[in-house]
Amino acid sequence: MPPEPILRLENIVKRFGAFTALHHIDLEIDEGEFLTIVGPSGCGKTTLIRLLVGIDEPTEGRIWLRDKRIEKVPANLRPTCMVFQSLALFPHRSVGENIEFPLKIRGETASRRKERALELLDLLHLPHDFYDKRINQCSGGERQRIALARALAFDPEILFFDEPLSALDFRLRKKLEKELKDLHERTGKTFVYITHSLEEAMVMSDRIAIMRQGRFEQIAVTDEIYARPISRFVAEFMGEVNLFDVEGTASGGLRGRGVEIQANATGGGTELTLPQGTQGALMVRPESVRFLHPGQTADFIVRGILRASYALGSRTQYKVESSEGIELAVEKLRQDRFMGNVGDEVVLGFDMQNTHMIRER
Amino acid sequence: MRIGRATRIALYLYGVLVIAFLYLPLLSVGFASVSKARYLTFPIKRYAFQWYGKALESYTVQDLLWTSLSIAGIVTVISMIVGFFGALAFARYQWRFRGVFQKLILLPIFFPQAVLGLALLMWFNSIGIIPDWKTAVVAHLVWISPIATLVIAIRAYSFDPALEEAARDMGASTWVVLKEVTGPLLMPGVISAGLFSFLLSWGNFPLSLFTTGADSTLPEWLYAKMVSGYSPLVPTVGILSIATSMILLIVAFTIYWFVRSARERGARII
Amino acid sequence: MERSDRKIGFLSAVPITVILMLSFTAPLLVVLLFSVMPPKVFTLAHVPDFSSYGVLFSQGYYRSLLWSLGTALAATVLLFLICWPLAFAMAKVFKGFTLFITVAVVITLFVSENIRLFGWVLTLMKGGLIEGHLRAWVGWSFEGALYNVPVIIFGLVYVYFPFMLFPLVQGISMVPDDARQAAADLGATRRQIFWEVDLPLSAPGIVIGSLLTFVLGAGALAESKLLGGQAVIVIADEIETAFTYGQNWPLGSALSIILIIIIGSLAVFGVSRVDLDKIMGRRR
Repeated sequence: MPPEPILRLENIVKRFGAFTALHHIDLEIDEGEFLTIVGPSGCGKTTLIRLLVGIDEPTEGRIWLRDKRIEKVPANLRPTCMVFQSLALFPHRSVGENIEFPLKIRGETASRRKERALELLDLLHLPHDFYDKRINQCSGGERQRIALARALAFDPEILFFDEPLSALDFRLRKKLEKELKDLHERTGKTFVYITHSLEEAMVMSDRIAIMRQGRFEQIAVTDEIYARPISRFVAEFMGEVNLFDVEGTASGGLRGRGVEIQANATGGGTELTLPQGTQGALMVRPESVRFLHPGQTADFIVRGILRASYALGSRTQYKVESSEGIELAVEKLRQDRFMGNVGDEVVLGFDMQNTHMIRER
Repeated sequence: MRIGRATRIALYLYGVLVIAFLYLPLLSVGFASVSKARYLTFPIKRYAFQWYGKALESYTVQDLLWTSLSIAGIVTVISMIVGFFGALAFARYQWRFRGVFQKLILLPIFFPQAVLGLALLMWFNSIGIIPDWKTAVVAHLVWISPIATLVIAIRAYSFDPALEEAARDMGASTWVVLKEVTGPLLMPGVISAGLFSFLLSWGNFPLSLFTTGADSTLPEWLYAKMVSGYSPLVPTVGILSIATSMILLIVAFTIYWFVRSARERGARII
Repeated sequence: MERSDRKIGFLSAVPITVILMLSFTAPLLVVLLFSVMPPKVFTLAHVPDFSSYGVLFSQGYYRSLLWSLGTALAATVLLFLICWPLAFAMAKVFKGFTLFITVAVVITLFVSENIRLFGWVLTLMKGGLIEGHLRAWVGWSFEGALYNVPVIIFGLVYVYFPFMLFPLVQGISMVPDDARQAAADLGATRRQIFWEVDLPLSAPGIVIGSLLTFVLGAGALAESKLLGGQAVIVIADEIETAFTYGQNWPLGSALSIILIIIIGSLAVFGVSRVDLDKIMGRRR
């Protein structure tokens, strides 16, 4: 039996004047999960999180926290808490005072507050002498941890994150992503994170919800989103991808543009079928595409010319232009890299089990 | 932070009330200026514009206008020039005594103007200058040139220093940077500082009080009449003084609006 | 680049510094010198005797000083209370309306303060705008509201309103919305947000606004003369009288110096505590 949802959104609509930012959104968040809401800027994710936290009210719809309606409860009365994009640390308070703020609001004694603040510094791997530092003496990564400590001091039922890592440099961001995931495991709290970065979502989340123009495009566990996107938008949003336009034929097979489909690749029983006359997109990730040597074969074959290669460290990416002018991306591990030259004619192949069919809706 | 509808409406109402409060006395002066009676009581029984005619014909009033205008005009020109450079020193350049300089600029604004006027009177006296309207120009500058500096400094703060650095990087000399980049960018600030300077000088009374010698400005004359008893010319001349300021403001805003819309149209063609 | 910055900075500061040296610093120095002269002299060529300072207590001038400081303090506190909600709304709630209010308030600054105070005389006097109409319409008559201490404070509140409002608006707009939302999110009530976030973070604006109103109010003259009808004599009035009717420049100077010391030390203290670059929005 799946765990009870801790937070449930029913038919949430948010309008700003004539503009509708959220169109009838439904969402269930499970107790203890790490859910990431991903979408390009302007998709409504910031609006959504502001409703979830209580900074704004929805125009329509209900928000349930377990069995309580909370959509009209203001932020200060909700048992949830957010780490802001700007972190919103109080510049006029010391690190310790920042962390103790929610405890002070709750009226806890000074000694109890300090004890808790020091525990949280430990939890976030910050030395105790940070307690008396000023916020402007701390680095970006340190501030990040202080903001987290302050949110945890609140002891929220759900911890929300509004792209808190976006201002950091790449290496620090990668480090903190992993720390955040560890922290999630150690605290067992429910984390809801919003970001426009797919990589961030992949590293940390149990489930990912993809948002587009005020709606959820797909909500699923991370691997599912990666391997079986529901639409071209999700497929393209989730990193480098090759898509071929295909069409169902009268015989139950497929006809594709720019790709040769071998006889054994279609047929009854597989999901790679399309009703006659309907359009679809055949998806294959770059790492599932092989360079075929003479004599080798595959379920799907594409002929083209190698146009470029990019070293990505542990992997190498190739750009191949097919004879129909379609551009393909291929990725190989460094030790398996292709020993060809730019301008060479190449044959690419990939197999049925590595593909996924996106049906046009 | 959510702010409820009721709170929002209350705040708007409050804003309107405050503005009404600020303008209520001007309303009274306006009504008084068109009352026919020699001794004013509300409600006004008969309206007439006769006092305006009398005021405009009076040589005294013409003299007052001319004195006020001369002082304000000179103060404006000097404040704009001095304020432009002062603002650069205040906001743009990093130099050794910038902190001290900033405080020196602010101090006169914090000083009671009547006391400043008296101090100036004694200073002129001790160096042997007999006060007239020209000494009032100096008195006005003490208070107005720092304000002009601040107005331009706000503009100087808002533009990106990288613009100047880019110009220098492309080989422009200090003078060229000032002429081609800094000057044009600060121009809107300089113009509003000029407007401020004129209007503040035009309406100023405490600084003029002791420093004009035998000459007199409009606000000074009004004050003397107010203290010594009611004259039906007081509200009339008061309204004339306000009207002058308002006309100048309206002209300035019209030009500003015109230039801006012309520029926008130009931008669209390009 | 650094070196030329320093040189240009220094050079640009020269013109206004010269003006202020000649028209601000030098006169204050003269006042200081006169204040230690024997009574009723008109040149500085006398042996200093400091006698004018003694008069402050023996002839009760300190009472005028206290009246000035008291009325200014009352006006400052009132102004803070009156301006805070409006300043808050202008910084955080109103959109286009903020510009409207700003323009409307700035325009009043361009009207000579004695005309505006005279307007209040016409409004509040017996037979004025308020009493006259009340008497004519509802038959309710009273003795005007002029010539007492509260109306002096009222006049100060009126005249120095912009000097409190604008610094407060500037101060409050320096409070990041995120900080307020974060405080609410962490459980703070509206009152707690006010005390814990709004007030400390807008402190620079509050300091500047209160300082301006207090200092200008303490040196104000026209309010007590026009509205107060000299119900009490304020220190600026005493100073003026000493110079004009009294023909006692050293006494006027001594009184000025005392006022200047009080006001000046407050101003210097306040101004030195505020980061001007920050409050005016310096980019870097």
